[in-house]
Amino acid sequence: MAVSAIIGGVSSIAGGLFGSSAAKKAAAAAAREKRRLQGKLNRLEKNRQEVINPYEDVKSLSSMITNPFANLGVATGAAEIKIEEADISLANSLDTIRATGASAGGATALAQAALRSKKGVAASIEQQEKSNEDKAAAGEQQMQRAKMAEEQRIQSAEAAGKQFVFGATESREQGAIDRTYGELQAVSGAQAQAKADQTGAMTGMFGSLASIGGSLLKQ
Amino acid sequence: MEKNLNKNLFLQQFNESDAIAYNKDFTSGISDYNFQLLDNAYRNTGRVYAKLKLAIDSNRCQEETCAYELAEIKHLQEAPQLSLDFLSSLIAELSVTGDPNFDLNNDSKYTIANSIISAKPGFSKSDGYNVYLDLLQDGAQQIVFIGPAFEEPLVINNTALNALAESNTSLVAPTPDINKDMLRLLTEVGIFSPDMVGENGELTAGAKITEEYVIMNPDGTPDYEIIDIGNGKGRNILKYDLDKIEKKVTPFINAEVAGLLSSEQDAVAAWNVYISKGTSVEEDDQMAQNANAGDTSWSYTEDLPLMQDKKVLFEKKYKEYFMNNYLKQFTTNQLPTVQADAAVFDLAEAKKAKAQKFIDDNNL
Repeated sequence: MAVSAIIGGVSSIAGGLFGSSAAKKAAAAAAREKRRLQGKLNRLEKNRQEVINPYEDVKSLSSMITNPFANLGVATGAAEIKIEEADISLANSLDTIRATGASAGGATALAQAALRSKKGVAASIEQQEKSNEDKAAAGEQQMQRAKMAEEQRIQSAEAAGKQFVFGATESREQGAIDRTYGELQAVSGAQAQAKADQTGAMTGMFGSLASIGGSLLKQ
Repeated sequence: MEKNLNKNLFLQQFNESDAIAYNKDFTSGISDYNFQLLDNAYRNTGRVYAKLKLAIDSNRCQEETCAYELAEIKHLQEAPQLSLDFLSSLIAELSVTGDPNFDLNNDSKYTIANSIISAKPGFSKSDGYNVYLDLLQDGAQQIVFIGPAFEEPLVINNTALNALAESNTSLVAPTPDINKDMLRLLTEVGIFSPDMVGENGELTAGAKITEEYVIMNPDGTPDYEIIDIGNGKGRNILKYDLDKIEKKVTPFINAEVAGLLSSEQDAVAAWNVYISKGTSVEEDDQMAQNANAGDTSWSYTEDLPLMQDKKVLFEKKYKEYFMNNYLKQFTTNQLPTVQADAAVFDLAEAKKAKAQKFIDDNNL
C-alpha cells in the first residue's frame, strides 16, 4: 500500500515497477558476472603457462660408446724376445759345438730346433691376431647394440615428453578454461532470462499506462 | 569520507533495528507516504497536451512548421514509458543499499533515497521527506529527493542513469559475494581431486588436499607432525608442502582477481567490505554487519580508476584472504588417511620409537 502511494498511478504500476527493477537488478548482476568471467578467462588464456617437457634435455650418449677391443695390439715384443732368445740359444749351442768339436749333424738339428721355435712364435702371433679380431668384432657388435639401445631410449623419452606436454596442457589450463567458459555461457543465459523478465514486467505495466496516457487527453 | 561512512552505518542499523517500533511519538503519529510520484508528475500534462494539439490543429503554432509543438507532443507521448523505465532502473540501483554486504563507503544519499522509495519507517512525508518526478522541457526526466537527512536535494537525471547503465557501471557499487567466489575458487585451484567436489559445486565435507602435496619421507610414507592432545597422548597430522601449494594456486587466484578487476567499483566494494582488513570469516560472522575498511578504505570518487599499485595490493591481499580464510583449514590438523596412523598413541612411546628409528637409520 505504502509503495503504491509513493509511485502513484494505479496500484499495478507500482507492483510492475518493483518486478521490473528486480529483473533489471538481476540483469545487471548477470552482466557483471559475465564481465568477471570474461576477465578471468582472458587472464587464464593469456597467462597460460608454458608446459615444460621434462624430457627435453635428454641427450644421446651414443657418441660416448666405443669399442674397447677395436685397436688391440699384438704382443710382438714378447715374440721378438722369444725369437731373440731362440737365436741366442742357437748361437750359444753352435759355439759349444764348435768348441767341443761336435758333428755338423748336431748343428743341423739345432738349427731345425731354432726354426721350429721361430715357427711357434709366428703361430702365437697369428693366434693373438685372430683372437684380437674376434674380440674387436664382438666389441663392435656390442657397441652397435648399446648405440641402438641408447637411440631407443632417446626416442621413447621424446615420445614420453610429447605425451606429457599434451596431457599436462589438456588437463591443467584447459580444465579451468572450459569451466570458466561454461560458466560464461550459463551467465549469458541468466542475463537473457533477466532481460526477458524485465520486458515481461514492463509489458504488464504498459497495460496500466493507459490510465496515465488517457489522463493526458481527459484533463 | 568518515562522516559518510558513519551516516550509512547509522542508516543501516536504524533500518535493520526495531528501535523505531518502541518510539511512542512514531507509533502514535501519522506516517504519510503519499508521495504520488506519477500523479504529481503528470497532473498538468493533459492540459499541456491539449493546448499543443489545438495549436497544431488550428494552425496557431509558434512557427509555421509547428516544430516546437510537434516535439513537445512527442516528448509527452514518450514520457510515461520513460518514467516507468527510469523509476525501475532507479529502484534497482538504490536497492543495492539494502544488500546484506553493502559497502558503507557508497554515498549515503542513495541509502536515504532507498529508505524513502521503499517506505522505510521514519522516511515518510510526515517525517519531512518528499520526492518529485520532473518532466523536463528537453524530454529528459529527473527525480528529486529532499528531507532532513539530505544536506542538499538529491537530483538524478534519467539520461545520466541510462548513460551509466550503458557503460556497465552503476550509481551504487554492489559488493561481490566473496564467500561464494572463494568457495568456488577452492574447487578450481587444482589441489583437490574432482571427486571431492559435490553436486553443489563446492567441496564435500571430508575433502582433503591430494597426496601430491603431502610431505613424504624418503621411503614413501607420510612425514607426520606429532601433536600433543593432552594427557600424555598424541596424534599424527599430515604435513603439507605449502610452497608447492602456493605455486599451484597462485595463477588461479590471479585469474580470479583479474575477473574481479574487470569491474573496478565492485573490486573497491570487495576491498572495503572484506579484503582490506583481512578479517576472518568467523569475525565477519560475529559482527552485526560486515567489517568495513575504515581508514584503509578506498573511495569511489577519489580512487577510481584504480592505480596499478592498488591493483597489485588488491591481488596480494585477496590471495592472503583466500589462503588464511579458505585454504588454511585444509592444511592444518589433517589426520592421516592411513587408518592405523590416525589412531591416538602414547606420546612418550612415540618419541622413544622415533629416536630409535633415527639411531637405526643412521647406524649410530
